[in-house]
Amino acid sequence: MLKFANSNKKFCRRKSVAKTVFNLRFTVLLCLLCLIQNVVIASEIQANNNNGKLQFSGEHAGMVFTGEFLEWHASIILPPEKHALITASFNVASAKTGDATYDETLPEEDWFYVEKYPKSTFVSDTIVQNGAGYQVRGTLELRGKRQKIAFVLEDKGDVLEANFIVDRLAFDIGRESDVSAEWVSKDIKMSLLIDKP
Amino acid sequence: MNEIMPVKNRYHTSAIVLHWFMALAVIVMLISGLYMANGDMPKSDQYKMYQLHKAGGMTMLWMICFRIAIRLIQPPPSLPADLSLTNKRVAKIGHLMLYAGLILLPISGWFMVSSSPFGLPTFVFVDWIKWPHIPWVSKNKFVETLSNTAHWILAYLMIVLITGHVAALIYHHKKHNINLLKRMWFRK
Repeated sequence: MLKFANSNKKFCRRKSVAKTVFNLRFTVLLCLLCLIQNVVIASEIQANNNNGKLQFSGEHAGMVFTGEFLEWHASIILPPEKHALITASFNVASAKTGDATYDETLPEEDWFYVEKYPKSTFVSDTIVQNGAGYQVRGTLELRGKRQKIAFVLEDKGDVLEANFIVDRLAFDIGRESDVSAEWVSKDIKMSLLIDKP
Repeated sequence: MNEIMPVKNRYHTSAIVLHWFMALAVIVMLISGLYMANGDMPKSDQYKMYQLHKAGGMTMLWMICFRIAIRLIQPPPSLPADLSLTNKRVAKIGHLMLYAGLILLPISGWFMVSSSPFGLPTFVFVDWIKWPHIPWVSKNKFVETLSNTAHWILAYLMIVLITGHVAALIYHHKKHNINLLKRMWFRK
């Protein structure tokens, strides 16, 4: 009888140890999962007009104008992450230059046509680490037109920076008003600056 | 009280002020219009001149409306009795054409701006006074060409009319010894 009781006690202890081990394993697994998830979240940069600047500039009648998109958002996953990807969308109507004539004209049909195309997007195709930066290639959709663009996203320590040229006529921007670029330059310089987290 | 009552031998003071201000403005507008379209200048200056010309034109339209309103409230003095009936008729036609030109010039310009392919807005000298475009003519090439041609013809016609207006003043002064300028000056 005593023998049976001892064996039962041993069995219960073993069961308890096994349960503890299982709990421990589960906890470790959970921690690992969280860690992996944290790593993924940490490598993804959420940028927008609060922690970054998306500016454009060009020439009109020989005068330089600059403007800024005041509402935009980008999600950035950079190499060495396996699934490096940049997706961005910006509210075209939020483009402001500070000049009333330009700000009134930009939303119009021949320019940004914000009534029909309120949003513009960018989705990267490839991102290749290149020295202190990244060579980004992707598709920019603006005013209903999709064009392949490429730029270098420079890692400057605290900030990520990109400067590139967009041909406005490739997106039919101002085609009716000034196709010969006599008044408004064909090349519009885009400038992106993002504070790193 | 005398200020708001019709003055027998001269125009009402407000009409006189408007007349001289508009005389100066119309000369500036004609010169600037000819220069900005034909002159050799940097694009930036040309653009700025166009914007000022547009603002000036809209101001002129308002001024001529005021001028007509004043004329209706305070009728102008009669033409001197010494003038012949033919001269009086010519003077009336001349004045009527000047009024028509002063109305049609800015209106044709307004149509030009409203139908222009550039679609640039018109701000009357300051950002907070935006003059609207005429609806339904936006980027209409036919309206743009028509209003452009009309604007040029009216501008040249206005030069002829102003020359005739001043010439008539000198002619009556020399030929009939009538100083018509007194009718459009502040002293009674």
